[in-house]
Amino acid sequence: MSTKVLIVDDEVEFASTLAERLALRNYDVKAVYNAEDAITTAQSDPPDVVLLDLRMPGIGGLEVLKTLKKFDPTIEVILVTGQPETEGADEGIPTGLFDYIMKPVDMGELIVKINNADQKRNLSKHS
Amino acid sequence: MKIRDKLILGFSLYILLATIFVFFSYREIRTITTRLAYVEVVDDITNDVLEVRRNEKNFFLVRNEESLKGIKEYLSALKKDINGIKVEIIKAIETDNYITMKKAITEYEYYVDNLANNFESQEKLTVMIRTAGKQIEDRLSGKELNEFLILRKYEKNIMLYKDQKLYEAFKSLKPLNLEGNKEIEKYRILVHNLYEIYKDDKDSEDKSRLKAREIQSVAEELSKKEREYISLTLKRMAKLPLFGLLAIIVLGAIISIQFSVNIATPIKRLEEITKKIAMGDFSETIEVKGKDEIASLGRSFNQMEKRILDSKSALQNAVEVAVATCNEKQAQLIATEKLAILGLFAAGVAHEINNPLAIINEKAGLMKDILEMSEDFKHKTKFLNLLEAIFESINRCRTVTHRILGFARKTEVSIEILDVNDIIKGATVFLEKEILYKNIRLDLDLRENLPEVRSDKGQLQQVFLNILKNAIDAVDNGGLVAVNTDLKDETMVKVSIKDNGHGISGENLKHIFEPFFTTKGKGKGTGIGLSITYGIVKNLGGNILLESEDNKGTTFIVEIPINSELTKGQVA
Repeated sequence: MSTKVLIVDDEVEFASTLAERLALRNYDVKAVYNAEDAITTAQSDPPDVVLLDLRMPGIGGLEVLKTLKKFDPTIEVILVTGQPETEGADEGIPTGLFDYIMKPVDMGELIVKINNADQKRNLSKHS
Repeated sequence: MKIRDKLILGFSLYILLATIFVFFSYREIRTITTRLAYVEVVDDITNDVLEVRRNEKNFFLVRNEESLKGIKEYLSALKKDINGIKVEIIKAIETDNYITMKKAITEYEYYVDNLANNFESQEKLTVMIRTAGKQIEDRLSGKELNEFLILRKYEKNIMLYKDQKLYEAFKSLKPLNLEGNKEIEKYRILVHNLYEIYKDDKDSEDKSRLKAREIQSVAEELSKKEREYISLTLKRMAKLPLFGLLAIIVLGAIISIQFSVNIATPIKRLEEITKKIAMGDFSETIEVKGKDEIASLGRSFNQMEKRILDSKSALQNAVEVAVATCNEKQAQLIATEKLAILGLFAAGVAHEINNPLAIINEKAGLMKDILEMSEDFKHKTKFLNLLEAIFESINRCRTVTHRILGFARKTEVSIEILDVNDIIKGATVFLEKEILYKNIRLDLDLRENLPEVRSDKGQLQQVFLNILKNAIDAVDNGGLVAVNTDLKDETMVKVSIKDNGHGISGENLKHIFEPFFTTKGKGKGTGIGLSITYGIVKNLGGNILLESEDNKGTTFIVEIPINSELTKGQVA
């Protein structure tokens, strides 16, 4: 069973293209373009790994992260951010953020991070 | 001499002068008083002398007892007066005069005694002669009587005129009839004796008159002298007030001039200079002369002026330094501000670019994915190469945007106790490959026992990494990079990083810390490193300085506070 990945980013072109590329690499990918859709989709069809943009109109990425973790703590979230290093991530770690990656994304690095996150989710699901 | 002393001296001189004046006046009055007493004495003497002479004159004229008594009476009064004269009067009327007078009086007295004796004898003899004549006349008669009467006629004339010729005639008369008459012989002897007394009396009279004249002349001389003396004294006394007044006026004038020269003029001068100083003119000073209060005041004034001038110039210097410092700080502030604005602007730009860049990256990535899955076609390799070129450009862009964003974002400082030497050693490890590749000599001169600093490890690492990287880029193959750590002062650690590379020209030095400014070739540098370095060092409370000469190399000096003012968690 392939890893379910949910991409949450208001930048449609970015999110859709990334989704397509991950799909080509045999991931079960969905892309949504706002926070509300992200929560609805995750609740109806829970993903293994969420690629989350922090800066979004509406309730914002951090709120999404908190809601998802409350709904299912085993869902791993990787922050995909335009800002470097730990901004946002520092705030995210206490709420269960797994990792972060900078835009523009290096595909190899992203794949490693998704796989790591998936492994962690599998471990926590079965323990 | 002090002014107070001068005033006292001037006043004392005045008093002294007045005292001298009064003293002399008093002395002159005393002299006159004394002299007046002398004049009285001398007048008494003169009076006595005149009385003696008057009686003497009478005596010589009438030969009576009364005149003789008068002479004796006044002579004794004269003697009494003369003997009663006090020693100081004797001295005043001159001792010689006194002695002369006394001697003359004694001699005169002798002659007067003679005269008195003679007068007595004459009286007796006259009576005796007359009695004898009468008796003889009674006894004689005739021729004898006639002859005798001739004798008696002579006798009367002799008594009347006391003339020598008459006596010679009397003597030569030889009355023949009376020769041998004892009584007549006796009578003739009596007349002879009388004549002898006359002779002697005449002598005494002449001599006494002479002496009396002498005494009178001395007395008159004395009287005259005393009067002259008093007259002279009075004349002198009349001049005294005139001279005294003149002396007081002259002394007053001298004292006034002295006062003016020594006090008023210097004070006027002081006033002038004070006014000038008040107007800001410090060009003149007081000329100090002497040792009095004015001179002391002048010296103090000059000192004060110098102190004011010194303070003024010190103040000017301090103000100049303060203004220069202020200008420098302002320039630094403006530069920092400028850099901050530039940073913010750059961050905005970077952020805006970053999103489309991410899209380009994904689109190109998808193209590559698809191409790689596609079967071979004519330009497949070329497309893949083109895509690689796109990725390369994207990566360059990403480096730029990430660094800009890293510089501009709010940075949380994490304070730890750090050894700067360790951080530098750590930074060099990252650059080993490049150092080896360019065959660069890296000299580390790290001071032992360098105090540890309280600062952010990651940020300091980035600082030294950036600067070292810059230095390595600046030198040619086989170049030299020297790092030295030391204490700047008690509060700062100083790190200097020196290279012998190309150096930075003066114009470029001005812009070296601005973002996007680079001297490296196209595609080699982003122009972000040093502006980030600058921001971090300032953020940590330190300083970064740059010394560089074209073609001679560059020295970066980083100063790090030992006790960073930033505490953990503080957001800069």
